[in-house]
Amino acid sequence: MERRITMIKWVIIFAIIYLGILVTLALISRSKVKSVDDFMMGGFNIGYFLGFMTFAATLFSTFTLLGMPDFFRNHGVGAWMFLAVSDGVMIFMVLWFGYHLRKKAKEKKFRGMSGLLTDCYGSKWAGYVYFIGIFLFLVPYVSIQIRGISIFLDASFNHALPPWGWATLILFVMILYSETGGLKAIMYSDVFQGILLMTVVWIIAYTCVQNMNGVKQMFEEVRLVNEGLLSVPGPKGLFSIQFLLVSMIAIVLIPVTQPQISSRIVIMRNQSSMNRMAVAVGCFAMLVILPTVAIGMYGAVKYADHSTPDFLSQVLLFDQPGIIAAATMIGLIAAAISTSDSQIFAMSGELRSLLKGEEKKVLKTTKIGMVVFAVAALIFSLISSNQLALLARLSFTGTGLMAPMVLLAILSKKKIGMTMVWVSATAILVFIGSLLGALPSDIMGLRMDLLLFISLGMISFLMVVFDGGEKSDTV
Amino acid sequence: MNKNKSLYWNLCIAGVILVSILSFTPLVLPVGIYEPMLFGVPYSLWMGILVAILLVFLTYLGTKVHPGNGEEDHND
Repeated sequence: MERRITMIKWVIIFAIIYLGILVTLALISRSKVKSVDDFMMGGFNIGYFLGFMTFAATLFSTFTLLGMPDFFRNHGVGAWMFLAVSDGVMIFMVLWFGYHLRKKAKEKKFRGMSGLLTDCYGSKWAGYVYFIGIFLFLVPYVSIQIRGISIFLDASFNHALPPWGWATLILFVMILYSETGGLKAIMYSDVFQGILLMTVVWIIAYTCVQNMNGVKQMFEEVRLVNEGLLSVPGPKGLFSIQFLLVSMIAIVLIPVTQPQISSRIVIMRNQSSMNRMAVAVGCFAMLVILPTVAIGMYGAVKYADHSTPDFLSQVLLFDQPGIIAAATMIGLIAAAISTSDSQIFAMSGELRSLLKGEEKKVLKTTKIGMVVFAVAALIFSLISSNQLALLARLSFTGTGLMAPMVLLAILSKKKIGMTMVWVSATAILVFIGSLLGALPSDIMGLRMDLLLFISLGMISFLMVVFDGGEKSDTV
Repeated sequence: MNKNKSLYWNLCIAGVILVSILSFTPLVLPVGIYEPMLFGVPYSLWMGILVAILLVFLTYLGTKVHPGNGEEDHND
């Protein structure tokens, strides 16, 4: 009881500091906004450090601190392959794709990927398909951030507020400061969140390893409890090669398909800043995922039969000293907010890129769109499941299906036909159909998502060869 | 010089593709096997860590030899 009171006291202190920082950053950013581009795109002038921190904080969210330990606890060491190795390939993709994207963005006056696709394909439908695709798959991703933190707060605060109450509160704070300070405010808060997340995750992992008497002893105890956790495919057979392969494809394609990431590539000051940012994000990825292995393995031994919320509240809060538990809680809220606001802001940016007319009117509509997206995420968060890592993967896969359409547009010099757009739209419908059970989830032993990726890849290859989609250069 | 850069860049791409493919083979992910352990860490995990470090290193090399380096850009 005394521990809980100490924790709550620290939570209140940290929450006041956190809100103070958010308000200050939002006001500073607002004072620097001179144009719509400043508000929506940070003035296209983001340096290496700010770029790195905002990219990392947007990519590594509550899913890292809540989803990954639970993934390691339930499915074992294959989770490293699922995320860390995939992220290693993804940062190389940033390097390769970023160069082409920035070139195209400069040529076409970038406002958002939807607008860029409309321009490249010469049809609004290209932009609409992309926009609908990201709406369908990013809203669930935002929702899992909100849901993850809500169920965690609900369990930690002994049901003081219902989960929807926490979710509403978080979304309200997020919308308020995003609409006040724009993208720069989001980025500054990302720096704070990134540092907090990294600090907290290492402290908790250190505590877990200490409690298990070292790394060697920890894995030895895991072996005694559940040997299957030490290898693939894991005790429940989740990490099959097909699952890991689709996950890698989906994660590697994040910079291509997810607007909150692709827009961060475009707004970097120059190529060199983007390059340094990519390497730094790679290092950050390894450093932030590694401690979640220890937290998960600790959970596999101590809390093998606990539900996800119970395991997380135990390991992240009740097994920690009050001040660390409080920092963790604020860190988690900050992580949820920083990822969600980036995604909601990016969706609004996409909406803006599809709109034409006077900038002030467009900005007003964009800001209304932001609220609508937040409400959609809130509703979905109330009905989604607790499988955070799997829902995140679903989101990556769904948006990943649009990658060939985007790549073709970015890499082609000529105006391209609409075939790829309609094929991508069909692939999204088929994928949704398989998720809803209306279509099979695998065909002849091949997972539907993998089959769709292979088919889209082959069609885009054929289009490049036969449809005149000529590569822009050899880089 | 540019030709060399292009060659090294292509080698980096080839390296990343090769490492990615190898990471799905039993060399990195042997099914149901967790030995030999390294400092108590199961095989697929320490191999996975090595693979991830290698990928970051290849990306770092890529930044050094990218043929687009030095091209004019936003607000340079």
